[in-house]
Amino acid sequence: MMTILRPILGLSSLVLAWALAVWLFNVPNYISPGPLGVAKAFSNNFGALVKNLVPTMEAAVGGFLIGNFAAICIATVFVHWTRVREIYLPVAVFFNTIPIIALAPVLILIFGLGITSKIMVSAIVCFFPMLVNMIRGFESVSSSELELMRVMSASRREVFFKLRLPRSVPFLFAALRISATASVIGAIVAEWIGAELGLGVLIIQTTFDYRTELLYAAIATSSLLALCMFTIVVVAETFIVRWRTS
Amino acid sequence: MSAIRVSGVDVAFTTASGPIQALSDIAIDIAEGQFCVLIGPSGCGKSTFLRVIADLQAPDRGEVQVFSGNAAEARRARRISFVFQEATLLPWRSVIDNVRLPLQVGNWKSVGRPHRDPNELVQLVGLGGRESALPHQLSGGQRQRVAIARALVTRPDVLLMDEPFGALDEITRERLNDEMLKIWQETGTTIVFVTHSLSEAAFLGQSVAVMAAHPGRMSKIVNLDGEKPAGAIDRSSSRFFDITSDLRRHLETAEGMAMT
Repeated sequence: MMTILRPILGLSSLVLAWALAVWLFNVPNYISPGPLGVAKAFSNNFGALVKNLVPTMEAAVGGFLIGNFAAICIATVFVHWTRVREIYLPVAVFFNTIPIIALAPVLILIFGLGITSKIMVSAIVCFFPMLVNMIRGFESVSSSELELMRVMSASRREVFFKLRLPRSVPFLFAALRISATASVIGAIVAEWIGAELGLGVLIIQTTFDYRTELLYAAIATSSLLALCMFTIVVVAETFIVRWRTS
Repeated sequence: MSAIRVSGVDVAFTTASGPIQALSDIAIDIAEGQFCVLIGPSGCGKSTFLRVIADLQAPDRGEVQVFSGNAAEARRARRISFVFQEATLLPWRSVIDNVRLPLQVGNWKSVGRPHRDPNELVQLVGLGGRESALPHQLSGGQRQRVAIARALVTRPDVLLMDEPFGALDEITRERLNDEMLKIWQETGTTIVFVTHSLSEAAFLGQSVAVMAAHPGRMSKIVNLDGEKPAGAIDRSSSRFFDITSDLRRHLETAEGMAMT
């Protein structure tokens, strides 16, 4: 119980400090509203927020699923065919150095303003951490585990499904935690560059219109979305990974 | 009939500081059903030798015969089981699922040999009631018991054990030695057991092969069949003391050979 209460205490203290700062320095509303103003904007614009949340969520979840799935498949290929890995992993590392904000316009040019490009941007953000983690996970088997499988004349397929894949599960969840929040970032970045609806669009519009209370409410909503996805991953992990390495 | 026949086996490793002759001209003949203990100073290649028999290490030269075929054939026919120094249990599998693992891989079904009941084996190694426990919930000794049950589930013709109790405390080790002897008597499996404990060798071995290091080679093969007619021996008896001293002398001779 205390483990939940303490962070709530931490968050409340910061919100209180924020309210105090706004009041003490007499900050105008269009620069930064207080927590109460944001809460009011949240309830007044609930419908608009939900309407904008849905496409962002679709893009984030879609990108999360596609990016992670693709990364797991490619990591599987890399672990089995070292040559392919030697040829393509450096290329993947190179692509990862391109800032996503620089890559997003290119994808929007190719895939248009619809959901496809948003999913693509989100998927790319998820892809690399999962690829690196899964390669490490598949290779985290010990030499005596591999020898045990060899004494039993296990096939490559059996070594993969009975040893490498279960071994990699903690690494899988480490990457899922990263991409749960990163996928939302990807979706919002894509929406900044160009989209008709979404939290990213709302953030840009409210900034330009000085509707700062709604801007803060939109930020809080995107943070809630990321938090929900992160929580789902953590809960799934506690149910799935019950073992520990001694 | 001999279960394992090894002749003229050489193994060399290339290391950063040049090649190392791990095994040189090794020859041994282990009869079916024998409990053979390998003992020797560290670095004498005992483990390497065991790995050659298991087809985990290919010899550079020489012949390894396991029953009618070579080591690779015996491995593919699932006639060999191996117990490592580390229990090497899969941590996400329960005790019983770890014991079942050998029946789920490596074409076991097409081998067509009747296997042992995993539940019975868990009982046999004294872990009845802990079937659904996960490895991290067990002690080191209990984990090694699971590894032994896992090795026995396929009714192997050859059981290779590489210092299986090396990481355990003396009391646990002696208890597991008692049980190992019982398991051997019950199953009649040929066992090759590597250790660097003299008392373990004296207690378990029906024959004890003493190895010398640099390069790893056979120094002396001591037959204890006559000394231990019933298989087991009382650890506090003078006979046990004599066997141990005898083995110590052979080991010292082997080490002396290495120094010259």
